Amino acid sequence: MPEEEKIKFSIITPERKVFEDVVDSVSLPTKNGEITILPHHIPLISTIIPGEVKIRKGEEEIPLVVAGGFVEVKGSSEVIVLADAAERVEEIDIERAEQARRRAEQLMREKAYDKVTFTEASAALQRALARLKVASKYRRHTYIKGSGVVKDEE
Amino acid sequence: MPGEIREIKKRIKSIKSTRKITRAMEMVAAAKMRKAINNVLSTRPYAMMAWDILRRLSKFYHHHPHPLLEEREEIKRVGLILITSNRGLSGSFNSNVINLAADYIAFHKEKIEIEADLVLMGRKGAEAMVKLGHTVVAEFDKVDVTTRIHEVRPLARLIIDEYLKGTYDKISIIYTDFISTILQRPRVKQLLPISGEDPYLGHIKGEEEIKMEVYEEKDLNNNNNNNNKDIYGGYLFEPSAQEVLDDLLPRLIEIQIYQAVLESDASEHSARMVAMKNATDAAGEMIYDLTLSYNQARQSAITQEIAEIAAAKTALE
Repeated sequence: MPEEEKIKFSIITPERKVFEDVVDSVSLPTKNGEITILPHHIPLISTIIPGEVKIRKGEEEIPLVVAGGFVEVKGSSEVIVLADAAERVEEIDIERAEQARRRAEQLMREKAYDKVTFTEASAALQRALARLKVASKYRRHTYIKGSGVVKDEE
Repeated sequence: MPGEIREIKKRIKSIKSTRKITRAMEMVAAAKMRKAINNVLSTRPYAMMAWDILRRLSKFYHHHPHPLLEEREEIKRVGLILITSNRGLSGSFNSNVINLAADYIAFHKEKIEIEADLVLMGRKGAEAMVKLGHTVVAEFDKVDVTTRIHEVRPLARLIIDEYLKGTYDKISIIYTDFISTILQRPRVKQLLPISGEDPYLGHIKGEEEIKMEVYEEKDLNNNNNNNNKDIYGGYLFEPSAQEVLDDLLPRLIEIQIYQAVLESDASEHSARMVAMKNATDAAGEMIYDLTLSYNQARQSAITQEIAEIAAAKTALE
């Protein structure tokens, strides 16, 4: 039964359903490192850290970026990611991520004594870095917003 | 009579200006409502999934004890979160939730000797609850249309902290469930302890049956991981059950509160829009009736004048 050998995969964020399809395998960045889920995985709950999600469907590989959340693998080869935020590669706003990175770095320098702000800023930095990393990996050319110029990634 | 005519004219004018105001309010409410409905509908799948996980986890409480999943034996104090709106003029929106809250407290007081404390969101609820003499522990500002989850984070944190400290043994949230633009229903939902059995629970849409997947221990024994101590109730937790639950449970509870606030937002603006629409329609009807009596009065005045002139003329001849 070919249907049985697939995974029903979906990524949901509080704002929308980012992805929903039947796929072959999914790689996720968890606290313990990257894991790949294949069909018939045992039920699992794990914490996701900011990073790249790789979805394989046939020959195709779909990259996405997540900003933390949780994953639940159900017994019926159903995988659900409850993400705080998630985007497809083409949706990543590089400029915004870059700004967020700079802001977070500045906060971390200035507010190093404030534990709460520091932790929040470092979490924001992780998210921004994850976005930038995924974007630069899959996009060879970047459209710089406003300037109308298509530039090579640095 | 000219005096009567002037009186009617004045009333028509004042009703017309009232209608202008209610119509403007209707438009504003409609715009806010669209935004709020959009928010609530896009968050629902997420909240539903989160609630699903919570309920499944609570089934396996004995496998992975966690203070947030624990059912306390004696319920002494109940914490209530009440979500209302800041402004009135929204039909029975606020009075419905407030009545439900009052009923809920009364119901609990009858059964067991309990104290109920309130955490409020929205100014209308605050006014009413203080008047009714209930203890208000905290009051949070409410924005008109909530869009970010950060906005409810302080409330969620307070509730979870107080629950863990043992100040409360049960926490419920009272909000208005958005069903459609013309139908909203106030409801009570028990947040803590997370219990799979409560018929009141279940997702906002509540009606659909959530299938419980119970994974048998023996199924897992066929697996290589059967000596992993983090397999409980069929779930494998990574890195560890403790760590995952510590992260997951507060987050999921926060989402439930967020969803409740969004539902209330959508309900509030829908209720206000409908109320204002009714007011505008009623004003229109009133203007119609008054115009009719105005014309009648004017006509009879003219007729009377003519009759008087005619009478005077006949008298002269």
